Amino acid sequence: MKYDVVVVGARIGGSTASLFASKKGLDVLMIEKNQEIGTPVQCAEATSSSTFQTLEMEPSPKYVCSEIKGADVYAPDGTHGHLEGGYAEGFILERKIFDKQLAIESAKAGTDIMVKTRVKDLIRRDGKVCGVVATHMGHTLEIEADVVIAADGIESQVARKAGLKTQQTPGTLCSCAQYEMVGVDYDPHYLQFYFGREIAPGGYVWVFPKGDGVANVGVGVRSDTKTAYSFLRKFTANMDATPVELNIGGVPVQGPVDKTYTDGLMVVGDAAGQVEPFTGGGIHVTAHCARIAGEFAVEAIEKDDTSRGFLKNYQKLWKKEVGKDLKESLKYRKIMDQLSDEEMNILAKFLKDQDLESISKMSMLGFVREYPQFLKLLKEIL
Amino acid sequence: MIISAEECGYCGACVAVCPHGTLELEGMRIIQEECKNCTKCLIVCPVGAIKEGNHEV
Repeated sequence: MKYDVVVVGARIGGSTASLFASKKGLDVLMIEKNQEIGTPVQCAEATSSSTFQTLEMEPSPKYVCSEIKGADVYAPDGTHGHLEGGYAEGFILERKIFDKQLAIESAKAGTDIMVKTRVKDLIRRDGKVCGVVATHMGHTLEIEADVVIAADGIESQVARKAGLKTQQTPGTLCSCAQYEMVGVDYDPHYLQFYFGREIAPGGYVWVFPKGDGVANVGVGVRSDTKTAYSFLRKFTANMDATPVELNIGGVPVQGPVDKTYTDGLMVVGDAAGQVEPFTGGGIHVTAHCARIAGEFAVEAIEKDDTSRGFLKNYQKLWKKEVGKDLKESLKYRKIMDQLSDEEMNILAKFLKDQDLESISKMSMLGFVREYPQFLKLLKEIL
Repeated sequence: MIISAEECGYCGACVAVCPHGTLELEGMRIIQEECKNCTKCLIVCPVGAIKEGNHEV
């Protein structure tokens, strides 16, 4: 078998890359290890409108559960701030349906898809990736390709086999557990975030409403003593709600890996660390980067140059588009890591009284004079 | 390190942090001979399905 492009993984990264490569006329095969695209869900399902712009899709009620207008953010002592519109706006998806729909769009554009198929190895010639070796129902297949796009998630076996350093560590991977719960009676248009070392060390708790009393209630932690699931059990213990689903997974929160390309291969999505480190939100970033990868594969194949020297431009392009945001987000995540619960409370009280769009220098100075421990933090932000 | 099949949710977090490539995705098995007991997988497992030791759970 021979294709122009083989995409490994059929979630958002894979389907987006294959969709845009197929749209431009390439012969594309997408391989999914699961027998069903979209399950199991490993996501809190929130995204911004930019995802739909990137994908040139409508936020249809077919796969959008609820429209988000803002968020409430809670400090450990309950002090909370309300964010309305802007960055906090977006949608809660039904990923099972959305991922499947995206794969359908890709298939309609001409992508061939194989499900329940695992990539076991790469075909390499003179160090260049030239395809994959996959197994399906006990059969082994060799599939040649000019370009391989690795969209195989945090496990990132494909990129690793190609020699890229995509490995995470306990410090860079947020361990997450989530219940989809029934009986969560929050406003369906607002996200809830809860911070604190007691409830979610190195991460946060989220309640993302899906409408009709259903919500994703999840915890992300970086803890070497207790599991994400134990924190989830603790947080939900007193809720008068019951789960209909348990989702688990890891979220890379260190920003993108250093190198997202090599000879004949590009990496997208979680595998490439294309996730906002502060929020752990990755759908919009992945869609953006994967579209760039899919379209750049077209250019590389047209120019008959799939060397790392040329595929380097994929990295240049996505960095130009999202690199600055990801760096900024990592900076805030690192600051958050340093704060004690008490400091979070003090900071929340200060921010609550400020107009976030225009915090005055005078009020900042006054704050730092009163709480000198934040001086270092302030320097890092500015 | 050993994975409890009963607790494992096949999320792949352990595979993401294994520096030695000793975790097999299919069937979530740790190749005992190659495991260096670094415990990274144990730390990130969201449900605590990975335990120290090398006996089947």
